[in-house]
Amino acid sequence: MNAVVFLVPVAVGLAAVFVILFLKAVKDGQFDDLDDPPRRILKD
Amino acid sequence: MGDLPAMSDGSSRTGSPGVEVARCPHCGTAVEGSSDTFCCAGCEMASAIIRGAGLEDYYQDRESTAPRPEPLSGGWDQLPVDEGPDGLCTIRLAVDGLRCASCVWVTENLLQRTAGVEGATISYATGRATLKWDPGKVGLPELAGRIAALGYRPRLLGEESAPDRELLLRLGVATFAAANVMLFSAALYAGWTGSMEERFAALFRWASLVLSTPVALWSASPFFAGAVAGLRARVLHMDVPIALAVAVLYAQGVAGTLLGFDTYLDSLTMLVALLLAGRVLEARGRRRAAEAAVTLAATVPTTARRISGDRVDTVRSDSLAAGDRVAVGAGEELPADGVVTEGRATLRVALLTGESEPQTVAPGERVWAGTVVVDGSFTLEVTEAAEETVVHRMAEELRIAADRGSRPSSTDRIAPWFTAATLVVAAATFTGWWIAAGASAAMSTAIAVLVVACPCALALSRPLAAAAGLGAAARRGLLFRSADALLDLTRVDTIALDKTGTVTEGAMDVLSAGDADLRVAAGLERFSRHPVALAIVREAVARGIPLPAASEVDEEAGVGISGVVDGRVWRIRSGGSGVVVLEDGGGHKGIIRLGDAIRGDSREAVARLAALGTRVVLLTGDHEEVAQRIAGKAGVARVQARMSPGEKAAWIERSRESGACVLFAGDGLNDGPALSRSDVGVAMGSGAASSVMAADGILASGSLLPLSAGILAARACHRAIRGNQIRSVAYNVGAVSAAAAGLVNPLVAAVLMPLSSAMVIWGASRVEGAVCRLERELALRMEN
Repeated sequence: MNAVVFLVPVAVGLAAVFVILFLKAVKDGQFDDLDDPPRRILKD
Repeated sequence: MGDLPAMSDGSSRTGSPGVEVARCPHCGTAVEGSSDTFCCAGCEMASAIIRGAGLEDYYQDRESTAPRPEPLSGGWDQLPVDEGPDGLCTIRLAVDGLRCASCVWVTENLLQRTAGVEGATISYATGRATLKWDPGKVGLPELAGRIAALGYRPRLLGEESAPDRELLLRLGVATFAAANVMLFSAALYAGWTGSMEERFAALFRWASLVLSTPVALWSASPFFAGAVAGLRARVLHMDVPIALAVAVLYAQGVAGTLLGFDTYLDSLTMLVALLLAGRVLEARGRRRAAEAAVTLAATVPTTARRISGDRVDTVRSDSLAAGDRVAVGAGEELPADGVVTEGRATLRVALLTGESEPQTVAPGERVWAGTVVVDGSFTLEVTEAAEETVVHRMAEELRIAADRGSRPSSTDRIAPWFTAATLVVAAATFTGWWIAAGASAAMSTAIAVLVVACPCALALSRPLAAAAGLGAAARRGLLFRSADALLDLTRVDTIALDKTGTVTEGAMDVLSAGDADLRVAAGLERFSRHPVALAIVREAVARGIPLPAASEVDEEAGVGISGVVDGRVWRIRSGGSGVVVLEDGGGHKGIIRLGDAIRGDSREAVARLAALGTRVVLLTGDHEEVAQRIAGKAGVARVQARMSPGEKAAWIERSRESGACVLFAGDGLNDGPALSRSDVGVAMGSGAASSVMAADGILASGSLLPLSAGILAARACHRAIRGNQIRSVAYNVGAVSAAAAGLVNPLVAAVLMPLSSAMVIWGASRVEGAVCRLERELALRMEN
């Protein structure tokens, strides 16, 4: 059970990493247009 | 008018015997000739450009034919374009006529292969192009010209707001935290019976607190800001109980983590995530409607031919000044207000007065910007230009008048009672338990009351159902800017329709003509830009008549057109108001009548509105006689003729005072006062740009049919919101009673709260189905 003491901060840290990645994706504009990219790949 | 309908079958009712009928390879218009005959020079050019760029795959892949190319209007070279720091120019344009993914593909690729273009992307969903180019190598007029050469029409977009990314960020953080906190909470709940060592329980609580802190302090800040703003304005709106619950939950969480008792942090993060999801959905619906309005209101730069000495310069209309002299010809729009100095012309003034009958002007008479020359040409001395013109001032007034404040919603009306009731119950619980069981038990029960009383479901009930209702209406062709306006539709009992451009097409149209005469006339008029010519060709294409080849065509402005078709010489001339005469040398005389034709589906639309129990009234500035004719055709029983724009607004005002709830649908600038006085103002998407920007709702497709569908969507949406509110209030009453009785602990709260939200989501998800059912019921009722 002592592993939990180590694993919980690791889990929280991992969650933080994903949140940061998500923030970056939003700031890059990946979520600005959700309608066109799915259509675009049909033609290329 | 480049938007000629593509024909679905090969029907050709007329055509000279023995002549092969083919379709134009670019736009699909029927023509007499072999399979590679183009209908016009524009199509031939477009096809050459596409093949020249190696993009001929377009013709195989496309799902629909292209519009016929029309020459680009001037003015693109006069536009100021900002240069970025990297020396490149960027612009966003609206592009009309893109009908399939292949249209987008071919236009995009053609632009990208133009020297000097650094980037070109076109969105099929919104019909917008983003262009980036090197101004040293290529200019905007060339790029706009390339789009126009293919048959698509570029237009200038007005101002747009940038997408709101912050709300999405807040939602993202809250969702991540909620998912992780739930894992720790699940572990804590599993160890409920005390089998978990205290140091692990403390560790899990600390981890939950770390994850919840950004949610409570940052993600939830819009609710705190809303609550504070509401309290300052002395209104208790929905954000107040939400902010209260979040604050109590977080304070209890901090205390619980420090002192070692159970917390509600999982409920806190879940609640904030759900509420933010509702807001994101709501914002997305609003943004979609706003974008559509901006696209519909996009304009073409207008130019004027200014006369200076014996030279004629093409300049942008807004650079004209009082005293300038401007030449205006048939088919052109007047660039400024002024006085006719020489020449004579017939003007279409529908935009200003709403009258469909053209007016004739002679030297010395005043004319106004925005009116269109139907026939003839003249020189105009400018008296007012740009912002000073009547048309511009009307647009400005309309914009100001329509800037209505948002109305308090039904949820906001419940909120104060809700908050007061929650606080009273919490206080009563606290006092009751203190007397019965002491301070500590009183504290935890009172907190439980405040926690489960959070109006999450109630706050979600409106945005979710409203988003579903707005979506259902939009899919049927009626775009609404706000849920308030959509819900107002449920109260509408009187529908006032403008005539010109709303019930009718608003443009010159063929009312009657023989097929043979129409065929010859269309052949002659094939290349003319005159409104009469466009109407004749459009009618021929609509009737499926193949356009014959014409030679020696000679167009004399203001007089007529002549040319050879089938080896005979024909002449088309004006035969008085609304009549065109087609003659050959041998005494044949064909008559083509033109006028403002009723929209094909107006009668059906009026019948549906009547079946929904509304009173339909036609308001028009036209003569009684014209008004009665159109009303008879559209099936409208009540008519108010000869009404000035001010009288229309006054009529609406009077109706509202006598208790009616009025929807007004109109298209022109002259409809501005009426649009802003009515309870719900709906503009035609094909109408004046400023009326589109100012209205509550927009009919996207140039048809009145979506109005009835919109009313049904509003009814379904209203019912869903009502149902959701009843369900969530019932939930809250039940849950608060349980909490006051001391039955709610963090585990029970963790199960109950998402359940109540799911209940509301379920209610909203049924809106689309309900609209379909109502539509079927309406269709059945109309059949019987």
